[in-house]
Amino acid sequence: MPKQKTEKKRSHKVIVYSTPGCPWCHKAKEYLDDHNIKYTDYDVSDDQEKSQEMVDKSGQMGVPVIDIDGKIIVGFDVEKINSLLGIEGED
Amino acid sequence: MYDLVIIGAGIAGMTSAIYAARKRMNFLIISANVGGQFLESGEVLNYPGLIKTTGAEFESIMEKQLKFNSINPRIGSVKKIEKSKNGYNLITDQGEFEAKSVIVATGARAKKLGIPGEEKYKNKGVYYCTICDGPLYKDKAVAVIGGGNSALEAADFMLNIAKKIYVINIMPKPVAHEYLQERIANNPKVELINNASTTGILGNGKMVKGLKYRKIDSKMKEYEIDADAVFIQAGRVPNTDFAKGFLKIDKDNHIEIDCTTQTSKQGIFAAGDCASGHEYQYIIAAGQGCMALLKAARYVANTR
Repeated sequence: MPKQKTEKKRSHKVIVYSTPGCPWCHKAKEYLDDHNIKYTDYDVSDDQEKSQEMVDKSGQMGVPVIDIDGKIIVGFDVEKINSLLGIEGED
Repeated sequence: MYDLVIIGAGIAGMTSAIYAARKRMNFLIISANVGGQFLESGEVLNYPGLIKTTGAEFESIMEKQLKFNSINPRIGSVKKIEKSKNGYNLITDQGEFEAKSVIVATGARAKKLGIPGEEKYKNKGVYYCTICDGPLYKDKAVAVIGGGNSALEAADFMLNIAKKIYVINIMPKPVAHEYLQERIANNPKVELINNASTTGILGNGKMVKGLKYRKIDSKMKEYEIDADAVFIQAGRVPNTDFAKGFLKIDKDNHIEIDCTTQTSKQGIFAAGDCASGHEYQYIIAAGQGCMALLKAARYVANTR
């Protein structure tokens, strides 16, 4: 009997830069939670260092900014998130 | 072929969908996003039945209600609508869909001013959503451009965040709910500048540093103010471009409807901020979403 291959899901380093009460930030985090993606969330309204980090990475100040393995997404862009995390789109 | 396609998943479209599901209609709801303008709203204090909520909380409840009714909005954009043999054909970036009836509930988007610096400094100090981006400007000076409900709500939201708020209003006075006008007028952080037309966004090449405006009086003099952020809340533009040339549209880009939400084409209904009526409230959009669905259901039944 051939050996069964077990596929290991690749883990990703995900950082979310957000502000409290920002609905798009909330949607982005909810989406990641729904897909069991672990992430670190920084509240950039309260953390000057992380706010500057976000600006350095994305070149702008709009939130949310999502860093997936060093690739930067500005806004809740489901297609880009899916593509970088290997999530299949829902019909 | 569907009985019905609902275009848009803000409160109007979601209301139509809930009613459609409970009437067991064969329908599709397609939208560029789920939530619409909920996602740009802060406090909501005047929706009957909800003493106090936020746009995000309200939207979350509505999404749960969609799930409860087994409704799954399809994410996509409608590019064009045209007549088909048995109804209407919707051309979208997800393919083409045919339906006997259509409800257009595409809402509206923030109006851009088209002034120098607006595009250059977008997300670099120029924003259209205070809820999202306002908290970044703790103890800073900010400007809000506009004089209606959205502008005063934006200024109100920033009262506990910014150290100074300029409200640059092109009209002689604000046109907004009285409670908002009171809050703004009574707060020393706010400087309301009426009869002022914003003429440009100023910056250092990387970030916003202020704006300039022209006073609308006999002298028409230009002034500058220092601000780290500018929140543009100067009105809404209905999302109706895809329907131009097919449905009757008024001079402000709203789809013309009668009091039953019927548009200029039989079997097509429009609800919410994309439709004529010119009063932009959640309760109106929800009510019209319901009316549109009931009328669409009757129309479909009568064409069987």
